Amino acid sequence: MDITTVLNNLVEQLSYRPQSPMLFSSGLFWALFLLFLPIYGLIKNSHTKMSLFVIAFSLFFYYKSSGCFLLLLVATSLIDWSLSRLLVKLTTPYRRRLCVTASIIVSLSVLGYFKYANFFLWNWNQMVEGNFQPLDIILPVGISFYTFQSISYIVDVYRGSVKPTETWGEYLFFLSFFPALVAGPIVRADYFIPQIRENRRATREDVFGGFWLIILGIIKKAIIADYISQYNDLIFATPTGYSGFESLMGVIGYTMQIYCDFSGYSDMAIGIALIMGFRLSINFDFPYQSKSLTEFWRRWHISLSTWLRDYLYIPLGGNRQGTFRTYVNNFLTMLIGGLWHGAAWKFVFWGAMHGVGLAVNKACRPLTKHFDGQRWFTAISWLLTIVYVSLLWVFFRADSWTDSVLIIKNIFCNFSPSHIVPFLKVRYVWVIMMTVIIISHSLPRRFYDNLADSFINSPWAVKLLVFMVVVQFVVEFAGEEIAPFIYFQF
Amino acid sequence: MKKSYISLWLLLAVSFSLFFLFSSLDNQPSIFGHRLKSSKMAETILCDHDVSEAESDTLSQSAFNEPAPAFPVATDTATQTLLFIGDSMLDGLSPRLAAYASSSGHTLYSVVWYSSTSEAWGKSKRLQEYINRVNPTFIFICLGSNELMVRDIKEKRKPFVNEIVNEIGDIPFLWIGPPNWKKDTGINDLIRESVPEGSYFKSDGMHFDRRKDGAHPTAASAIVWLDSVVRWMPDHSNHPIRLEMPQKKTDRPKRVFVHQPSEI
Repeated sequence: MDITTVLNNLVEQLSYRPQSPMLFSSGLFWALFLLFLPIYGLIKNSHTKMSLFVIAFSLFFYYKSSGCFLLLLVATSLIDWSLSRLLVKLTTPYRRRLCVTASIIVSLSVLGYFKYANFFLWNWNQMVEGNFQPLDIILPVGISFYTFQSISYIVDVYRGSVKPTETWGEYLFFLSFFPALVAGPIVRADYFIPQIRENRRATREDVFGGFWLIILGIIKKAIIADYISQYNDLIFATPTGYSGFESLMGVIGYTMQIYCDFSGYSDMAIGIALIMGFRLSINFDFPYQSKSLTEFWRRWHISLSTWLRDYLYIPLGGNRQGTFRTYVNNFLTMLIGGLWHGAAWKFVFWGAMHGVGLAVNKACRPLTKHFDGQRWFTAISWLLTIVYVSLLWVFFRADSWTDSVLIIKNIFCNFSPSHIVPFLKVRYVWVIMMTVIIISHSLPRRFYDNLADSFINSPWAVKLLVFMVVVQFVVEFAGEEIAPFIYFQF
Repeated sequence: MKKSYISLWLLLAVSFSLFFLFSSLDNQPSIFGHRLKSSKMAETILCDHDVSEAESDTLSQSAFNEPAPAFPVATDTATQTLLFIGDSMLDGLSPRLAAYASSSGHTLYSVVWYSSTSEAWGKSKRLQEYINRVNPTFIFICLGSNELMVRDIKEKRKPFVNEIVNEIGDIPFLWIGPPNWKKDTGINDLIRESVPEGSYFKSDGMHFDRRKDGAHPTAASAIVWLDSVVRWMPDHSNHPIRLEMPQKKTDRPKRVFVHQPSEI
């Protein structure tokens, strides 16, 4: 063993490599967490030391994912914090409004430049029939998430619902907290900042409950989502290359993949934070059990939907200005929610169709509420919801509008039951994975609570065995390629 | 430090050490006949990766720069039964070859074995089974992408590459080399040396737009890749076949057989 080679490899692993962001499911993250944990445990009771250490680790975590965009995160936090300090000193409503508006404009301008500049330029050139040359812009990882956090912070300070942080360090801790930094959940200041101040101790239940969530997240993301994506990617890469049945399986597969991918990441983020003694709110609550689109959005990406509700829907007027205006507000909120996911018309369409669906759902409510509780109605409501949501995922995932239409057309026009048996024979591992996730998604939360309790109270050796078996499964099913989290791109 | 932190740290440290140790073994243990895979932890930390990145942004027509075979070869205009075997690279290549097959009146069977290697194919006799099953008149192979970084590759893989060539027998074939995203440790040289002249298409050095994984060409890039193979064949292959430019970008093979990584 050559020590120079080992050192070179370690330096390479710890350097910024755009193709290898530090994922919670990667060996590198766990190697570093192994170093992080004892130091954190030793200094946790010293507020200053703990804060500085977590900030340093968070910034390094972000550097590994985004390189020099680390400076952008630091600059954003400094500007936001300075404006929030200024805001509390101002007394006239006009100046306060000016200050909060300036902060929001700065945040949205940065997001707009990095995420939407090429999109708007492309559309402009389409209109004027110009020769479009995209700007060479790289999207900093997690910018959509931390921009929303910073906006919510300044608005909450303006509203008086959050006391601004005394120090820049405390604000930087909130904005850069590594478990939630690159893909959420979107942390709200009123919920999180008091936790930094109270320096809460992590109980045994927190530490091993968090570890249990991490294991669940690894199963969802690194085993199930990454494996089933191999087939789903084929369908979306060549829509004309597969039969209707295969396309249908690809659509159902993607529906479960995006759930496992994103909720798996959220579980890991929540679990890591819990080990550290911080509580992040849940982000997914069995969304595919929903029996209406309204319910779906109360269960899917909860931190985003509540953010949109509190900082967009309600300021637009919410449901306080009549039925028609409620529908319009709903539609606009979902439209912007769609655009938040990406700078492309397919995301706008996806958001808009969810907006339309929510409006229809609300409009039908007076007619359908008489059937509430009846089994046939519950079954039809669930079916309609899951079909609508799944079909819209096609537009979300496919590379183009044409591909989306081809896949859906294929399902309806090229469907033959003769493909079912051969499919089950050759894709049996995929089918087993899908069956496992569909069944486990149908189980009540109580089941998982009991499972978590059993794990927390199990002997140390059992915990070790469970963890090692799960990691070995990850190794067994891993492809050669890195499968980044879907929500990294947002 | 709290007791629960120590307990968790020990758990992580023990499992990390065991996986590291496991990954440094030359022969992985088996459970119920299944050979366990190991992570690449030891290789990542201990091995010398002093290989420069391929010149991925330069369009290099390296395959076209190869000298044409010394013997004159007329294009075989007969209708063919094509068998296309390989790893996940077939996801992009196979639909395009299917489009060529459709426009030329050929029949294409594809066998995708995810994460497969020359070792997996050479050991399994799977190629022989498919040859017996579909009676191909021409075989395409795309293998090697999962072996770019194997150490001592010539010693380790030569018998398996030879076994693949033996199983093919007299059937004309073309081995499409892996689309290197980094310099390989010798898989391309090994394939070139092991197959007859005019049976190897060098993909290394070509420009590819890659998927997010950084390895697989995008669907559009895979189309260009196969188009390059088709353009290369008339002057360089030892058995060029008729492949008409298709109207459609992609199509379906007559049948696709899929094998999972777990079958390795």
